Amino acid sequence: MDDLSRQAGPLISPAPSASRRLGRLNLDVRQDLAPWKQAVFVGASLMSGLAISIAILALAGIAPLTLASELAGVLTTENLRGVLIQAAPLILVGLSASLAFRIGFWNLGIEGQMVFGGIFAAAISIYDVGPPTTRLLLMGAAAALGGALWVLLPVFLKIRFRVNEIIATLLLNYVAMYFLFHLLYGAWQDSKTAFPQSSPFRPFERLTDIGYGVNSGLVIAIAGVLAAGWLIHLSRIGFYTRFISANPRMAKIVGVPVQATTVWIIAASGACAGLAGFVNVASQEGRLTQSYANGYVFSGVLIAFLSRNDPIVVAIVGFLIAVLFITGQTLQVFYQIPFTMVQMIEAIIVMAVASSEFLIRHRIRWIR
Amino acid sequence: MSLALQLVGIRKSFDGALALDGASFESQAGEVHALLGENGAGKSSLMNVAAGLYAPDAGSIFIDGVAVSLSGPAAARQHGIGMVHQHFKLVKPFTVAENVLLANRQPHFSSGMRDIRATIEKQVAELKFAIDPDRRIDTMTVAEQQQVEIVKVLVGGVRILILDEPTAVLTDAEAIGLLEIVQRLARSGTAVVLVTHKLHEVKRYADVVTIMRGGKTVARLDPRQSSAAQLTELTVGQTLALPERTPHRGGPTRLNVGALTYTRGDGRSMLNNLSFYVRAGEIYGIAGVSGNGQAELAEALIGAIESSSGEIWLDGVGDISRASQAKRREAAIAAIPADRYAYALAGSLPITDNLAVAQIRSGRYGSLIRLDRSAMRRDAVAAVRDYDVQGVRSINQKASLLSGGNAQKLVIAREFSRAPEVVVAHSPSRGLDARACAAVHQSLIEARERGAAIVLISEDLDEILSLSDRIGVMTRGAIAGEFARPADRQAIGRAMVDHG
Amino acid sequence: MIDFLVNWLANAPVTAVPYALAALGLIVAERSGVLNLTAEGLMLIGALAGAGTSLLFVGHPAVALLVAMAAASIVSLLFAALVVVLRINQVIAGLSVVFFCQGLTGLIGTLAKWQNKQLTGLAPLKIWPLSEIPDIGRIFFMQDPVVYLTILIFFAVNFLLFKTMLGLRIRAVGENPAAADAAGISVALHRILAIVAGSSLIGLAGGYISVVSVKLWVTGMTGGRGWIAVALVVFARWAPRPALAGALLFGCIEALIPHIAAAGIRVPQYLMLMTPYLATIAVMIWVGAKDARGSQEPGALGQPHVREERR
Repeated sequence: MDDLSRQAGPLISPAPSASRRLGRLNLDVRQDLAPWKQAVFVGASLMSGLAISIAILALAGIAPLTLASELAGVLTTENLRGVLIQAAPLILVGLSASLAFRIGFWNLGIEGQMVFGGIFAAAISIYDVGPPTTRLLLMGAAAALGGALWVLLPVFLKIRFRVNEIIATLLLNYVAMYFLFHLLYGAWQDSKTAFPQSSPFRPFERLTDIGYGVNSGLVIAIAGVLAAGWLIHLSRIGFYTRFISANPRMAKIVGVPVQATTVWIIAASGACAGLAGFVNVASQEGRLTQSYANGYVFSGVLIAFLSRNDPIVVAIVGFLIAVLFITGQTLQVFYQIPFTMVQMIEAIIVMAVASSEFLIRHRIRWIR
Repeated sequence: MSLALQLVGIRKSFDGALALDGASFESQAGEVHALLGENGAGKSSLMNVAAGLYAPDAGSIFIDGVAVSLSGPAAARQHGIGMVHQHFKLVKPFTVAENVLLANRQPHFSSGMRDIRATIEKQVAELKFAIDPDRRIDTMTVAEQQQVEIVKVLVGGVRILILDEPTAVLTDAEAIGLLEIVQRLARSGTAVVLVTHKLHEVKRYADVVTIMRGGKTVARLDPRQSSAAQLTELTVGQTLALPERTPHRGGPTRLNVGALTYTRGDGRSMLNNLSFYVRAGEIYGIAGVSGNGQAELAEALIGAIESSSGEIWLDGVGDISRASQAKRREAAIAAIPADRYAYALAGSLPITDNLAVAQIRSGRYGSLIRLDRSAMRRDAVAAVRDYDVQGVRSINQKASLLSGGNAQKLVIAREFSRAPEVVVAHSPSRGLDARACAAVHQSLIEARERGAAIVLISEDLDEILSLSDRIGVMTRGAIAGEFARPADRQAIGRAMVDHG
Repeated sequence: MIDFLVNWLANAPVTAVPYALAALGLIVAERSGVLNLTAEGLMLIGALAGAGTSLLFVGHPAVALLVAMAAASIVSLLFAALVVVLRINQVIAGLSVVFFCQGLTGLIGTLAKWQNKQLTGLAPLKIWPLSEIPDIGRIFFMQDPVVYLTILIFFAVNFLLFKTMLGLRIRAVGENPAAADAAGISVALHRILAIVAGSSLIGLAGGYISVVSVKLWVTGMTGGRGWIAVALVVFARWAPRPALAGALLFGCIEALIPHIAAAGIRVPQYLMLMTPYLATIAVMIWVGAKDARGSQEPGALGQPHVREERR
């Protein structure tokens, strides 16, 4: 099962010459399709996905007009701040997912890596490590390290024992969550409250706004985008990654350092997720809590999928998903629609866009 | 005699690439009809249409004079058409009986198995095969698996039997045995179609031959009345000159493989104390029936797998059998693997990238921090020109858009870009038409002239005989015998079967 | 000590049944060659459907379980359409279906106000007179009917896969779809059939958790058991017998957790809760370390099927 994840079909694949008949219908595999046509298919499927979601919401009691007005409301300046704050961790998990997916590693442990990112950052605060001027830097570095370590565990298991990472990373999410509870209900619990949360961070340990409603967390996210963009598009490692993703057997034979590249890229993926955790605990929450990582795994998968794993596009898509998130929160507060609805819409969008792959890759003909 | 099978004006294209261009074919009961053509001529595609696997874009199919429309393989079987494919359609973990049962549906499993077993035993006795119905397919040799395929098709009651390149995986002796059985089947009333690219089979065993070229049927002849030269010219279009070569002058040993062993994960020992050496300016051909460890040897030499023990010694580098990938790459072995899209090319990546990857570590295309894409492009354009790679609309197009022959030229362009001292070629002309094949052979000869040591592993005995200075016959994971040029084909054939 | 053992082992079948049913369902589905990661989502669908039916039609737990199976089968058609017809990457499709189900069940459960409502459950089936044997009787002969049904289902799945023509065809499709196709077997049809049939068992597993075991519905109540079932199937090498054994093992582990606390043994609560997940990873490591190569997965697992022409 070690190459199970690779066998499950490439995300965007070149297909061999092939033809298939279903009675009168003939299915031909396309060799190539012009990019603009591909964009049309993807766009159309995206629209269908959104349409289906709107229909489901209407069934749940939200009229489309209400939805539209809520959406417009989100884009006003007061709410924009909320969107930008939410965009930072989303962009970071999008980067995390896309970096891992590029190299063919299904990193579904993003939540666990966020958890450990937050834990490591909080540790710097709780144990008062380092001078105040560098405190935030230390916390960020610790968070990146925490995320990277938690993802390197399943990487090691895969390399050494061929343990499939889909299950390993998902299960480790649960382990991380319970470890967080263990800390929050135990040694790290804030003695002044009965809630599962740590003592609040000191003022110089918070990610504050830097003006125009933009939080410094977003700065970290943008920095991540630029770093990932350089890594993928300009550096030699990015070149190696293309080959490892396209044909790992060939890459090895041709001399690409497959294992080293894989480990570094996945570590970077974990680091991004760790930073996302850091951003969440240090900006809005201001302390270690129990739910700052919830729901980010699939959001990461969605963003990576829609961005075709490109870091620059991740920034844009991440922003759009942040809009979705804030809309979802508004609906939850004012219309009692549970937030899991957002998850459902994300899933519908992924399924819709993935379906467009079918039309891109095949041509359907009617044989007389 | 009536026309058992008739295909008229069949057209078939795969996403723009025309595979069949108005091809026609007629087969009568009681005769062996050969379908001759080189790789890519469309023979398999035409027969896949007859077997119901492909739907033709245009054209008609007649069986016993009645027009039929085949909606799938099941319909073809109902009409009595059975095909033994080049790539066997067998379920490896199943037994013989289960595979035959799968293809010949019975109402109940346990009674079905019983009946099928009895039928298999009867059929096997008639054909003088030695097949145990309860053996698993993955424990059988390739020749035995092919026998199972034939039994599977015959049990279903077939009137039109199509065999697609059946002797490709057999020794000369096994091929003779098979073709004699095929002839007998024809004499007993079946219409037999033999798809092949081997002239000698056509001349010896076929009653009629239809020749295909470029997706069209170009001729229909009686092979006994035609000469080999005539048939060749119709098949290939023009007679191609054999590659020129200087006699081997002898040089220092460049590659020495010593006592190489390799055991697969499932316990099967594929390389058993394999030893041979190759000198500079020499082509060492490794002949043998596939399945005797050739693939594993090729993979061990190019570094896709690690041998269990033994050494692979390279002049000036040392033993690379357990060396790191980087060291191997420095050792400058050129690899031309059998399955180019599995091992040699990344189809979804551009041609420039596929060419550049060989030299990326040397810093020729930029530093770690930043790639130099214009240098990559420049070199790619030059390589495409020098090696005559056709079908390149844009240097940035995906490598998978190239046809088989041109993809192979691309691989050679990349591998030879560093003037390699050792070349490992595994079935380099598999699936290529005659022109591309000649180009590949020419490249190998040129490398030989430049002083490279070349290991040529191939199941195509003609290729081995025409190119090699020395030939090693590989059976059961070891070199059973060596021959020098000019080699005696019969002796080699015997060595391939003799298990010693 | 004996009491502790008896209490623990008497509860083990109840925690083992969801794993067993889900694993058997996944085996049926994946033997056809489709990588199936939907278990977690379909179990939630089954759990919600079962709970909802139980609340709407009080006193008919059997009906609730049937509805759970049907609901999961219907949702599995979505998955089947995505992977068999549209040939989408099976990992993406599986993940999407899981999160879709998580979202959907959360939505419906909250809107219909089904959360935390007590359900009637199923009374244990006493196999008299064996149930009167002290200790042993409690463990083996006084379980709810679904436990015994699971054993029957196990035999049925074994029979179906290995002793029927249909099973032969499904396995062929999973090992070598090209061979099955050339033999005139509809690859698509058999895959869809296997997925739907397997998913009904997965739905039953979920329905069992809510209707019989815990007797209420809470958002996300399957808590990762679906993923553990997926790992179990790999551990069992897609064979029913080891899957049942593995399910029993995990049932025992999961049943142990509350009893350790009840017995007064002081172990940090949350670290205990990690055990099933860590145990699963440990099992996967063990499988990976044992198997040098040659795993027994269906040969074509994970690859969409299109009739191919060699270059």
